[in-house]
Amino acid sequence: MNLLSVSDQHNSGDRAISIHDLSLTYLTTVERKPTFRQALTQTGRKTREVKALRGINLEIPYGSVLGVIGANGAGKSSLMRVISGIIPPTSGRVEVEGKISTLLALGVGFNPRLTGRENVILGGLAAGLTREEIQSQFDEIAAFAEIGDAIDSPMKTYSSGMYSRLAFAVSVVVEPDILIIDEALSTGDAKFKKKCLERIKSLRSHNRAIILVSHALATVKEICNDVVWLNQGELMMRGAPGQVITAYKESLQVAASPAADEDV
Amino acid sequence: MPKLGEYFKQVWRRRSFIAEFSRSELRAQNFGSLFGQLWLIINPLLLALVYFLLIMVIGGSADGRRFAHLTAGLFLFYLVTNSLTMGAKSITSGGKLILNSAFPRFVLPISATVISLFKFIPTLVVLGIITALLASPLSPALLFIPAILILALLLSLAFALLFATLNVYFRDTKNFLPYLTRAWLYLSPVLYETSSLKPALTPLKYLNPLSPFIDSWSGIFIEGNAPSLTAWALMFAWSIGLFLLASYLFLSREREFALRI
Repeated sequence: MNLLSVSDQHNSGDRAISIHDLSLTYLTTVERKPTFRQALTQTGRKTREVKALRGINLEIPYGSVLGVIGANGAGKSSLMRVISGIIPPTSGRVEVEGKISTLLALGVGFNPRLTGRENVILGGLAAGLTREEIQSQFDEIAAFAEIGDAIDSPMKTYSSGMYSRLAFAVSVVVEPDILIIDEALSTGDAKFKKKCLERIKSLRSHNRAIILVSHALATVKEICNDVVWLNQGELMMRGAPGQVITAYKESLQVAASPAADEDV
Repeated sequence: MPKLGEYFKQVWRRRSFIAEFSRSELRAQNFGSLFGQLWLIINPLLLALVYFLLIMVIGGSADGRRFAHLTAGLFLFYLVTNSLTMGAKSITSGGKLILNSAFPRFVLPISATVISLFKFIPTLVVLGIITALLASPLSPALLFIPAILILALLLSLAFALLFATLNVYFRDTKNFLPYLTRAWLYLSPVLYETSSLKPALTPLKYLNPLSPFIDSWSGIFIEGNAPSLTAWALMFAWSIGLFLLASYLFLSREREFALRI
């Protein structure tokens, strides 16, 4: 397989991901007022049940860019993690056909003491790529990220923009069948964002499946051909971008504010 | 529990990850310090000298043979406890990696053991020089070194897996670790020899997994003695038994880790 150019492997409309009745519930700890007295009197931890996802059904075909929108805490990132197989669902089923590359909350750069180069290599190896596969694509990744010599500096010295440039470069250059981008575009500058959107469009026209989680509604409207709206773990609506985004904005009552369209 | 065959095939596919992760972690630990990678040799030497001072002050006297026993035992002890300490943190500090990519988590404790091995190898050279100068030199018993090392690595991995899992559920674990390893050092025949234990304390030979390892290890280097059959039985039982137990615990809990960190 030639990894350097985008090749067509799936037919448009083929099923990439199907999700059946998916639910995710987990426990988190709560500590209302951490006081010294409380620390002495109460050694156990109080827990609260969080229903992150409730009965989600969704089919995603190849050749589409699916936008996922919703308020903070709606379950968007949880859904992405379940799809990528990182978190097991509490109930329900996820079927994936193809290779997934995830760009969840800037996943690359997990160890800030290591250089960008080391992080890219480690991230790729963890994802199951071979050293040769990563080496053969490394130059392209570095070129796409356009961060220059910084690639060999520890990642703790990176700005958030440099971070997301590198993370994005890794996930698109690796040529996944299915690409998940979780709010990674918001920190890049306008020029880099444009380049990313072009790359996404190119992947889409080669019948890859792309899921874009974003609060930037203008971006979602521009490149997605399908949008789902999540609210408190439930799938509220799915359909054409314009329609779903309008309904979402109405629910937030921010329809008139231009800030909703911006990437912040 | 995942399907074991498929699971360990995935682990095997990640072997370059383990090598690369361990190497870069070691590099990062000494990055920017004046002596750099030399610390891998300076650290254990200083450690042995400090404990030698302790024996000399408390015990009143100490000779070359004592020092050779001390260094042999101390370095092996640190092989296991370094793996335990780094293993304990391997899952909880792997946050971003665990939350953002799907891979068998088993590779993280393995990496902790490999890092510990990388730190141990230079100490073998130091130990070789010390025993050549102070204790009995070459003997056929030296041929048992690889076998003991393999079992000791299995034991190290077992403790890394065990404490990695414990620390996910009880974050207090890592606060106990310095005291635990310190107590363990005093319960192991490092600062003394098993033969000098009071009769009431002799069960330690069987209850402390590290006792047969340190006894055999020091016996090989200092007396040129092959380990006894009892010692072999204990080493096999402890390392394989604990490894199976710890792996089961880790694998049966692994899927929950991403929700807990």
